[in-house]
This record gives sequence, C-alpha cells and structure tokens, in this order.
Amino acid sequence: MRNKLIKTLLISSLLIFLISSATSLQANGNLLIKKATILTVSGPAIPEADVLVIDGLIKQIGQNLSAPPGTRIIEASGKYLMPGIIDTHTHIALHGTNEGTDAVTPEVNMATVINADDTSIFTALTGGVTMVHTMHGSANVIGGQNVVLKLKWGKPSEELVVKEAFPTLKFALGENVKQSNRTLLPGRPQRYPATRMGANALIRRELNRAKDYLDEWDRYEKLKKSKNPPATLLPPRRDLRLETLADLLRGKLVARCHAYVATEMVEFLNLAKEFGFKIGAFEHAWEAYKIVDELKAAGVGLSVFIDSWAYKMEAAEGIAYNAAYCTNQGLLVSINSDSGERIRRLFNEAGKAVKYGITQDEAIKLITINAAKQLGVDHLVGSIEAGKQADLALFNNHPMSAYARCDMTIIEGEVYFDREKILKERQEAAAKKGGK
Amino acid sequence: MNKHSKKICLTLVLLALILVSTGNSASQTIKPAYALVNCRIVPVAGPVIEKGTILVRNGLIEAVGSAGKVQVPEDAEVIKAEGLTAYPGLISAHTNLFLEPREQSQPPSPEELLRAYTQPAKPQEFPELLILEKLKTKKQIIESYQATGITTVVVAPNQGIFQGQSVVLNLNGEDLNQMVLKQPWALHINFTTERGVYPSSPMGTIAFLRQKFYDTQHYALHLQKYRSSPQFLKRPEYDPFLEALLPYVVEKKTVVFQCNNQEEIKRALRLIDEFKLNAVLTGCNEAWRVKDYLKAARTPLLVTLDFNPPDSSIYSRQGEEVKKKAESELYPANPANLAKEKINFSLTTFGLKESDFLKNIRAAIQAGLPFETALKTLTIEPARALGLEKQLGTLEPGKIANIILTKGELFGEKSKVVRVMVDGVFFEIKERTNEK
Repeated sequence: MRNKLIKTLLISSLLIFLISSATSLQANGNLLIKKATILTVSGPAIPEADVLVIDGLIKQIGQNLSAPPGTRIIEASGKYLMPGIIDTHTHIALHGTNEGTDAVTPEVNMATVINADDTSIFTALTGGVTMVHTMHGSANVIGGQNVVLKLKWGKPSEELVVKEAFPTLKFALGENVKQSNRTLLPGRPQRYPATRMGANALIRRELNRAKDYLDEWDRYEKLKKSKNPPATLLPPRRDLRLETLADLLRGKLVARCHAYVATEMVEFLNLAKEFGFKIGAFEHAWEAYKIVDELKAAGVGLSVFIDSWAYKMEAAEGIAYNAAYCTNQGLLVSINSDSGERIRRLFNEAGKAVKYGITQDEAIKLITINAAKQLGVDHLVGSIEAGKQADLALFNNHPMSAYARCDMTIIEGEVYFDREKILKERQEAAAKKGGK
Repeated sequence: MNKHSKKICLTLVLLALILVSTGNSASQTIKPAYALVNCRIVPVAGPVIEKGTILVRNGLIEAVGSAGKVQVPEDAEVIKAEGLTAYPGLISAHTNLFLEPREQSQPPSPEELLRAYTQPAKPQEFPELLILEKLKTKKQIIESYQATGITTVVVAPNQGIFQGQSVVLNLNGEDLNQMVLKQPWALHINFTTERGVYPSSPMGTIAFLRQKFYDTQHYALHLQKYRSSPQFLKRPEYDPFLEALLPYVVEKKTVVFQCNNQEEIKRALRLIDEFKLNAVLTGCNEAWRVKDYLKAARTPLLVTLDFNPPDSSIYSRQGEEVKKKAESELYPANPANLAKEKINFSLTTFGLKESDFLKNIRAAIQAGLPFETALKTLTIEPARALGLEKQLGTLEPGKIANIILTKGELFGEKSKVVRVMVDGVFFEIKERTNEK
C-alpha cells in the first residue's frame, strides 16, 4: 500500500517536473542566496554570508548583499552552500556505453549520442551534481571519445555540452578488456587481447599506425603545396579511427585510462612517454598508492572510488586509504560514481575520505575543484569565487557530514532541483489523483 | 533517309504498336473515360466544389469543375455520385507494405546466441538492395489500404543501417510493374545497431555512417581522377557498397533518415549538414520536441501516425501509466504542434497497422490538427516530398486519376470510403462486417 503510494507519487511528480523545470523554476540566471555558510573551496568557509548571482555568474560574496529588483531570493539560513559537485567518471545521459565489438574503437564519440531524457540526470541533481564527465565504457583497450555535460535537466542535449572541457579519449586495461570474466562459448573465438601484455602491444600497434597515418597526410600536403603537384595526386583515405589517435598524438585529445593494477599503470605511463601523449587521469586506479612517485613525476591524477574494493581479482589489493593517501602525497585526486545511482551520494563518498586521513576541506575538493582541474574547467567552476559560473549545491548540513541532504541544485544561476518544491508538487499530484 | 534509319523507324513503329496493344489488353476492363457527376469535390488545389464533375480518361484526370462548366463527353461512362465527396487518393510516404514485420528486439534464445557467436559475424548492410525486387503483392493488403483511402505508398526496406532503396507504388492492382511510380525513390538509413558485429552501439552506428560517407567521397574522387588520367594511377578497387552510395553522396539523390526519437532527429540533421545530403526525415513522432531545430533546417519531414513513445523517451521511463498517458495525450498532438509552428510535413502510416490509420488520424485532428492540414499532409505534401507533385496530390487536369469517394467528410467519425479509383481504375470497397 505504502509502496504503491510512493510509486504513484514518483510517477506523477517526474512528469510534472519535466514540464515545469524549463519554466517556473528558472530565474534568468539571477539569484540572491542569503545567510548560508559558504564552502568556497578556494579559501576558508564564510559563515552567514550572501552570494549574488547575475546572468549565471557569481557576482559577489559578502554580508547583507542587495539584488536588483525582481531577483529571486533564496533564504538559506543554517544551510551550507558548496560548489556544484562534479563527477569525473560516469556513463549517464547517453544512448550507449560500449562499442564492444572491437578492442579498438576511438572513432566513436559519446557526444554524438547524448540522451537528455535520461532520468539519471535528475537523480544526479538531487545529490547536488551539476557536471559530469560521461564516458565510453571499459570494454575496449581504446574505447571512445567522452564528453563533459552540465546537468541542465529539461534542456536540449546540445545545451548540456561543456565545450571548454578537455576533449578526452577512453583507454582501458586489465580484466575488462581481456574479457577475463566472460564465459567462453564453444567455438567462439576469444577476442584479442586476452592478456595485459596483449593490451599494451595493441596500443603500441595502433599508435604506430596513427603515426604512419599522420606521415601519409604530411606527405600528401607537402606534394599538394609543391610547385607542380602530379595530376594523379590523391589525398589519403580519411580514417576516423586513425584520425582520432592522430589527434591524441598531436595533443588535441587527452587520454583517460581505466586501470587497476600498478604494473599496467606504469606501462601506460611509459607508452605516453614513448609516443608523447597526455594522460588526464587514471580511472579507478586501485593500486595507485603503490606508484605515487611515478604518478607524481608524470603529473597524472586519479579518478577513483572511495571504498568499494575487492569486487574482482584485480581490485584485491585496493585499499580504502587510496584516495586520502594519494591526496596527502600531493596527487590530484577526484572521487567518481561510475553509476547513475551512486552519483546522487557522491558527497557521502567524499565524506568517507575524512575517516581515511584528510580534512573536510580536502575531502570536498575531491568532488569539486580537483574534478574541475582534471576536466580542464577549473577556471569556470569548482569553487565559489566571484566571476565563476554559478553552479551551486545547497545542503541542510555540512556536505561532508553523514546527515547531509541536498536541498537545492543550481546551474548557471538556474534552479534545476528544489526539494521543497518537488515534494509539494508530488503531494498536490497525489491529492489530485485521490480526488478523482 | 538511308536504309539503316528506315529500319530503325520500322522497328520503332512496331514497338509502339506492341505497346499500344498490350496496353489495351491490360485495360480491357476499364472504360476509356469516366464522368463522376454531381459529387462534392475537394480538389486540395483550390476551393471545394459543392456540386461538380470530374472527367477521367486513360487513367488521367481530364477535367474538374462545377456541374455546369464541365461537358460530359458521349463516350464517357457516367457515374452518379450524389451524396459522395471526391478527394485525391491519399499517399503514405513510408510503409513496409508486403514485407515481413521487422524482427522484434526480443532477447535471443540460447541456441541463437550460440549460433551468433560460433558463426562468423556478417554485417547486415545492403545499400545496394532494391526493395522492389523483393516484393510480392498481396491482394488482401492492397484492399485493406484502399479501404482507408490510401492509393499511393512508398515501400521502404526495413532491415539494417543502410537499409536499401525504396519504391513508390500506385495501388492499382497486383502487377508490380504497372504499380511503379518511381523506382528507386530514395536510400533509407536507420539509426539501428547490429547484434554481435560492428557497429553494435548508437555511437558506433554514427561513426560507421560517417566513415562510409567519407569513403564514398574518396571513392568518387579516385574514380574521377582515374577516368580523367588512367595512367600512373592505380585503379580504385571495385566496391559494390560504395558504388550503391555514389548517387546519394555525390549526385545528392534523396536519402531518408529514420528518426526514432528526438535525439535521432538532431543526429540526422548533423549528418545531413556535414555531408550536404539531400535528405528527408521519417518516423519523427517526437518532432515537436525539437521544433526549433526542424524550423531552422527546413528538411522535409515524413511524420508517422504511430503515437507509441520511443523506449528511451522520458515518457517511457516512468512506468506504464505515464507512457499510456503520453501515448493518448502528448504524441497525438505532434502533427498539430508542427502545424502550429508552420513546419511542413507529410503524415505516414509507418509502423502502423492499417486498421489504426483512421483511429490515429482522428486522434491527431482531435488534438488540434486542422482538417485541411491533415488532408494536405496526406496528399500534396507527400507528393512534393516524393517529387511527384505534378502527377499526384490534387484533383487537377493532367494528374493521375487517384480519386477516393466518401460518404461524409473524410476522417469523420461516421464517414466511409465507398469507392476508390487508382490510375483510372475503380475498386469497390468491401463492406467490413466487424466494424463498430
């Protein structure tokens, strides 16, 4: 009975929300948030302060601010305002995850299959998440190109894309790409690579092909520009797969590499050095604590879980101290969800890091400014500073507390989630339904 | 005139005689001329004629006008049509007539899975497929279409990504060659995936499409260079796949993109823009959700009367109740919303059982689509989209005599199509006993 009621509430509310979100919740990017504790992330917390937002940007932070007439005012006394949470590794808001038929598919681009209708966007907003790095899965050694989105629920998919973010390319190593957890059916050939050294060799082979491809185009361009280009001169075939890898070699793309064990991460660092490409971060990186010096020397960060270790063989040597320890050692660490569900409680995940040895202020960075740096958008978001985009999350308690709950989520000065309003709408919808 | 050309002349005369005589034998049951008198005429091309005459000769409309203005010739068989209304035959510009229904996306059985994995994967790609060559007409299906007033259809292939090439048929009997109006009409592309072979994901499909379009451009360039200077240039390897795409990518013949949800409409528009294709969109039952994009692009639209929300839609993601509500309230308003935005479109029966056509067109009118627009989107608009506006779509002299006679206004609750003329041939509509 109770379950049924909750279900009806959910059903009616979401439908209402989609329709209303684009209109009534919005304030043309102008807001005045009053008397909240401001967790700036860039500096110390400011108690009982106001944040003025004009045209989607943070205009001013201070005491007793006034706003132009007509500006929506949010009374936030006793509440905590933090920068919008950024998830550096998830797969939401997409119409696909893996192009699993080939171990090498850099030509596929997640930006071409954004699904603005995915309800996970709304789920994420309820946990204060405003930005995601939504990625190709880990089925392939070289997966696809990823995309960074702002969770502007109800807006067309193109308006979600954060163009300023680093363009990234997914790599993956270990059990997923060698398909160690698949039952091999009789007669079905095993996909190459089936070992870790195979994965390494495959990357080297493909990057060498990309080098040849670049050379081929260079030769063509040179001939074309020469005094008497031959009449039979034909441009090389445009190959989207090699072109993407060539972009990686040219530094136009940044690698994001799913990896668990220390040895394969070191091997990947070596590959990056050999071919001269950039690594944005290692994903999951359970054994990163073993190779802190190598990671530090390479300037490579981590995007990790907080404490869900040992769920497969290669995660057996993962430790819950990984994120905190690596942070204390000076690595740039972010906490990711890798899930459309865990994404709504990323603040809890970050909060756990406090237990493992970092301060609350450091922990909150794991899901804000550190994530922004890893995605190349720290000049726009990730902290509460004048001039930055007003991506904000309002909590009833300190977000690193186990008792915290997100009450409001704001992107560029627009309220995309308002707990009070949603609950009211649900009650009204239920009442209306009961009355019929 | 020399001996040689005399011979040719003689052959031509003989040929013409043969043609005339076979034509006669085929149309023995047809009177050379009909006069439909005293009927109400809705010519679509101009104002309604309350009491008028339509003259038909040799399968073409000879004259249309008010009773006093059109002389009935002596040789014409007079059809008294008091109390009946004449409309141009309806056109459904996307059907899978005579084809087996598409494979449902049911999970494969263990045996099927094993077969799929143990046998070499073969992509189901056939842009070279001409659907006309696969068709076997069925009298029953033709009659059920005629009963709804549909006299002309596009039959499009329904398998794979590059599905093959469609044909326009006039439903004038069972002889396919006599039915053909345009062969082939267009190349049909669907944003679907393959099972077990590349591309198996939506982003893979887009990468695959782009690669094939680039390959065709390159193939065309290579062919062109080779033809102009066949020496010192290696010949391009013959590729039947790319050969089939040449007319569409290079000569810009019509390409039809099937768009199963709002995102696919935008994906198609991006591909059309990138490769400067001459394209039409079909499916599009979420077109109203992307109306601004469609307004800007001005790509012709074939909009299905299938109101089933797509699986990935927000309305399908919140349980059966919300989906049903959307299906009966939101999706039927799609045509009305497009009309309100002054976006041109044609309606089709794509994905519909023929018995649902009347029900759904009534629902669309109920949801605000003006009757006149409904009529146009099933007559002159599709005729234009097919490049057949000089032959079809209105009751005007010179056009093909596709005429339907109804009791009551077309699409009305109590109206009925009583007789149908296709290519000047009358077909009686059998009384359906099980109709409510």
